[in-house]
Amino acid sequence: MEWAWIAVAAPLTAFVLVGLRGKWLPGRGAYVAIAAIGIAFALFWYVGADFLDRGAGHFSMTWFSSGGTRLALGMIIDPLSVFMLGIVSLVALGVQVYSLKYMEHEARFSWYYAAHSLFAASMLGLVLSDNLLLLYVAWELVGLCSYLLIGFWYEKRSAAEAAKKAFITTRIGDVAMLIGILMLFKAAGSFDISTIIAAAEAGTISSGTLTVAALLLFGGAIGKSAQFPLHVWLPDAMEGPTPVSALIHAATMVVAGVYLVARAFPIFAVAPGAMQVIALLGLFTALLAATMALVMTNLKQVLAYSTISHLGFMMLALGSLGYTGGMYHLMTHAFAKALLFLAAGSIAHGTGLTDIKDMGGLWRKMPLTSTLFILGALSLAGVPPFGGFFSKDEVLAAVSHNQGPLVLGLTMVLALLSALYMARLVFVVFLGKSRSDVHAHESPWHMVLPMAVLAYLAVTAGAAAFYLPGTGEGLGHFLFFEEAEEFHPLWWLLIASVLVVGLGFFIAWGIYQRGWALARVFEPVARLARRKYYMDDLYQWSIDHVVLVFSRMVAVFDRVVVNDKGVNGGGILTALLGKRLRYHETGRLYNYGLVMVGAIVVLGVIATLLR
Amino acid sequence: MIPVTAYLVVSGLLFCIGLYGVLARRNAVLILMSIELMLNAVNINLVAFSRYLAPGEFTGLVFAIFVITVAAAEVGLALAIIIRLYRNKATVNVDEIDLLKW
Repeated sequence: MEWAWIAVAAPLTAFVLVGLRGKWLPGRGAYVAIAAIGIAFALFWYVGADFLDRGAGHFSMTWFSSGGTRLALGMIIDPLSVFMLGIVSLVALGVQVYSLKYMEHEARFSWYYAAHSLFAASMLGLVLSDNLLLLYVAWELVGLCSYLLIGFWYEKRSAAEAAKKAFITTRIGDVAMLIGILMLFKAAGSFDISTIIAAAEAGTISSGTLTVAALLLFGGAIGKSAQFPLHVWLPDAMEGPTPVSALIHAATMVVAGVYLVARAFPIFAVAPGAMQVIALLGLFTALLAATMALVMTNLKQVLAYSTISHLGFMMLALGSLGYTGGMYHLMTHAFAKALLFLAAGSIAHGTGLTDIKDMGGLWRKMPLTSTLFILGALSLAGVPPFGGFFSKDEVLAAVSHNQGPLVLGLTMVLALLSALYMARLVFVVFLGKSRSDVHAHESPWHMVLPMAVLAYLAVTAGAAAFYLPGTGEGLGHFLFFEEAEEFHPLWWLLIASVLVVGLGFFIAWGIYQRGWALARVFEPVARLARRKYYMDDLYQWSIDHVVLVFSRMVAVFDRVVVNDKGVNGGGILTALLGKRLRYHETGRLYNYGLVMVGAIVVLGVIATLLR
Repeated sequence: MIPVTAYLVVSGLLFCIGLYGVLARRNAVLILMSIELMLNAVNINLVAFSRYLAPGEFTGLVFAIFVITVAAAEVGLALAIIIRLYRNKATVNVDEIDLLKW
C-alpha cells in the first residue's frame, strides 16, 4: 500500500524518458509508456488487495513547511481512490495499446505517448493525493495535458482552437476552485482533505463560508466535468486523436470533477444547499446535452454530448446523496464510453468516415467493431442486463429517495433521451443500407483487444452491484457515504426504467428505420439544439463585444498612461537630467584635479575652523 | 640642530610644486613625474617625523619604503598605460584623451 505512489511515478518517469529520448526507446517510446501504465495497473491490484487486507491508509510526508503551515506530499488509500486507481489505469492502458496501431503513422508518435503518460500520471496523482493543494497541482496538470493532446494535430487550425478553448474554459472553473480551496484552507488551517472534512463536520467553519467554498470548489468541477455553462469545450475536444477523446471522456479529465465532488462529499453534505445546486445543475446539463446529442450528425460529437449528459447524470446522483450510484455510474460510463470512442476511432480507421449520415450498414463491413460498439451503446442506454442499467437504477433509486416527483420525472425523460440517441446511433450507423460505398476493413488486434476488454467490463459491470470480486459483497458495501447500502431495486422504478428504455428504442426504430415523420414535430427545438442553443455564439459574441472591447480599452490605457507616461516618462526624465548634468563632466583631467584639491582645501579650512 | 619645521617647509614646497605640475601640465608623462614629486614630499615628511618623534624606531622608515615601492609599481603601470595611449592616439596630451566624455 505504501508503494501506491509508484503508480504516479512510473508514468511520470515514462513521460520524461519518452519525451526526451522517445525515438531511441523500444517501440519509439510506446512500449516504455505502456509498461509504465501497466505497472500502475498492476499496482492497482496490489494496493486493492492490500486495502482489503489492512483497511484504509493515509501516508504523508512534509513537502515543506513555512511559518507553522505544513504543506504535505501525501496519498490517501481508501475505497474511492482504489476504485479510481483501477478505472484510470485500466482505461489508460487500453487506450495506449489501442493507440499503437491507430497512431502508428504519426510523426510525433513518441510525443503522443509522452503526453499520454503525463496525462495518466497527473490523473493518478489527482485521485491519490490527500490534500487539496496537491490535488490542485494534479488538476492543472490534467488541464495542461488535455491541451497538449486535444491540440496534438496543432497544424490544423480547428484543433489548435479546440485545445485553447478546452484549456481556457476549464481555467475559468479552476480559478473558482482555487479560491474555494484557499477559503477552506483559511477556515480549517490545512489543505489536508480529512482535516477540512473534520472541521466542516465539527461545525468550526461557518455554514455561510462552507457553502460558498463548496460551490466554488464545485466551480472547478463544472469546468473539468463540462457542466453547464462551461460544457462548451468538450464537444470541440474531439478535434484531438480519437483515443485521446476516449481517455478524456471516459477516465481522466471529465471524471476529475465528479471525483472531486465525491472526494469532498462530506463537505458538500454539510454545506447547506450545495447538494441541491449540484443535483439541479447536473440534471439541467444532462437534459440540455441529451437533446444536442440527438441532433448532431458527427459520430464523435454525439458521443461527446452523451458524455456531458452522463456527467450531468452523475452530478445529479451525487447531489441526490447517491454517492454509490454516482461512482457506480462513473465506472460503467467510463468503460462504455471508452469503448464507444475507441470503436468510433476504429470505424474512422476502417472507413475514413466521421459523419453518421455517410455511414449505415456497417454491421456487415466491420462485424467485430460493430458488435462491440452496440454492446457499449446498449450498456450506456441502460438496457438490462448490461452494466449501465444497474448503475442507472442505483441513481434513479437515490433520486426517488431524495428528490421530488418533478426531478424524478425529468430524470425519466433523461433516461428516455439517453436511450433514444444511443438507439439512433445503432440504427443509423450499423443497420440499414450503406449510404456510401467506401472500402471498409476490420481493425487490427491491437485495436480490437482493448475494445473487447472494455466491452466485457461494460457488459458485466452490472454484477458489481451484487458482488464485487475480492470483497464478497456488492459495490454498496465497498464504496459508500456514511452507511453501506444494499443494492435495493425498487420494482416499480425498475419496470418504469425498462419501459422508458424500450420506448426510446421503439421511437428510434420508428424514426430511423421506418421513417416516421416524428422528427418534424420537434424541428424548432432540433434547430435550436443543432446550433448548440446558441451557447457558442453567445460566448463568441461576448468575447468579441465585451472581452475584446474591454481589452482594447485596457490596451489604450496601457499604451497612453503606463507606457508613455510611466515607463517612457521615467526614461525621458532621466535622459533630460543627463543632458543637463553632462556639461559638468568635462573630461579634462586638471578640472577634476582642481576640484579634488579645492575640496580638500575647503574641508581642511572647515576642519581648522571647527577645532 | 635643524628644526623639524625646516623639513616640513621643504616637504610642503615640494608637494605644492608637484600639485602645480599635476594641475597645470598637459603632458601625461610630466603629470606622472609631478605625482612622483608629491609622493616624495610625503616621504620627506615620514622620514623627518620618524627621526624627531621616535628616533631609533623604524616605523616611519618602513612607511617610506612602502611608499617608494608602491610609487615604483605605479610608475610602471602608468607608463605602460601611457605607452598604449601613445600607440593608439599618437599623443600623450591629456586634453585630447576624452573619448568617454562628451
